Amino acid sequence: MKILIADDSRVMRQIVIRTLRQAGHGGHDIVEAENGREALEMVQTERPDLVLSDWNMPEMNGIDCLAALRAAGSDVAFGFVTSEGSEEMRQRAASAGAAFLIAKPFTPEAFDDALRSVI
Amino acid sequence: MTAPTTVPGYDASVPSLDDVGAVTDDVWLALVGEDEVLLPRPVPPGSPFDATGAWSAAVTVTGEWQGVVTVELDEQVARLLSARMLALPEDGPVNDGDVADAVGELVNMVGGNVKSLMPGPSVLSLPSVAAGRAAFASDVVEVCRLDVAWRGGPVRVCVHVPRP
Repeated sequence: MKILIADDSRVMRQIVIRTLRQAGHGGHDIVEAENGREALEMVQTERPDLVLSDWNMPEMNGIDCLAALRAAGSDVAFGFVTSEGSEEMRQRAASAGAAFLIAKPFTPEAFDDALRSVI
Repeated sequence: MTAPTTVPGYDASVPSLDDVGAVTDDVWLALVGEDEVLLPRPVPPGSPFDATGAWSAAVTVTGEWQGVVTVELDEQVARLLSARMLALPEDGPVNDGDVADAVGELVNMVGGNVKSLMPGPSVLSLPSVAAGRAAFASDVVEVCRLDVAWRGGPVRVCVHVPRP
């Protein structure tokens, strides 16, 4: 399985990769994007099975990236990893076609539960 | 969590100190692990952040609730936290870019969780980070301040709202 991690923070991308490993999902291929626009392009070039995306990013945010992917006909599994875990944000994410929203701060168990819903 | 409180004289709900403390504790625990908690640090009201060297960061919330969430960290705390977040040796160098990235992510997480406590809809800004103490324009007022310590170094989290 190939996972695209989109976050403008290199530190957070490292933490997400480490948490995936701690959650028992360390064997996947990982590719990284620094913002939503780069993620949008990399979904075409890298063909990931899952996108784990921050919400708030420069250039293009996560929700706009997801909307652009769905508008382009992509049905790639997409989940948010974001500091904003309110019910309002969860509803916006689900309405846009996200499979899950993991709120920061998160645990390996939260990652495992979320990934099991799409693997 | 407790309900947002209202500060007399301000036409805005503000998060309680308990809530800001709980959010900060949760974020810190997730970033550095369970073995080292933030400790209370009594500081007289109105005292400037007293670290010798400091990093500071802010995020702004705009919409139904308006506010600014800031984090100030002692220089050594910021570098140790960054090393922890990047799984680097604590006695090794951490470049300023990585510290800025880590401190920005810290305020993003604290600010995003504070936003989630407040009435919506609203929008969270990208973090701004600086090497040095935070300074604020006179059009906002501090309504909540948390002073804690990690490994003996000071950490401060504040919430500001627009002045009425």
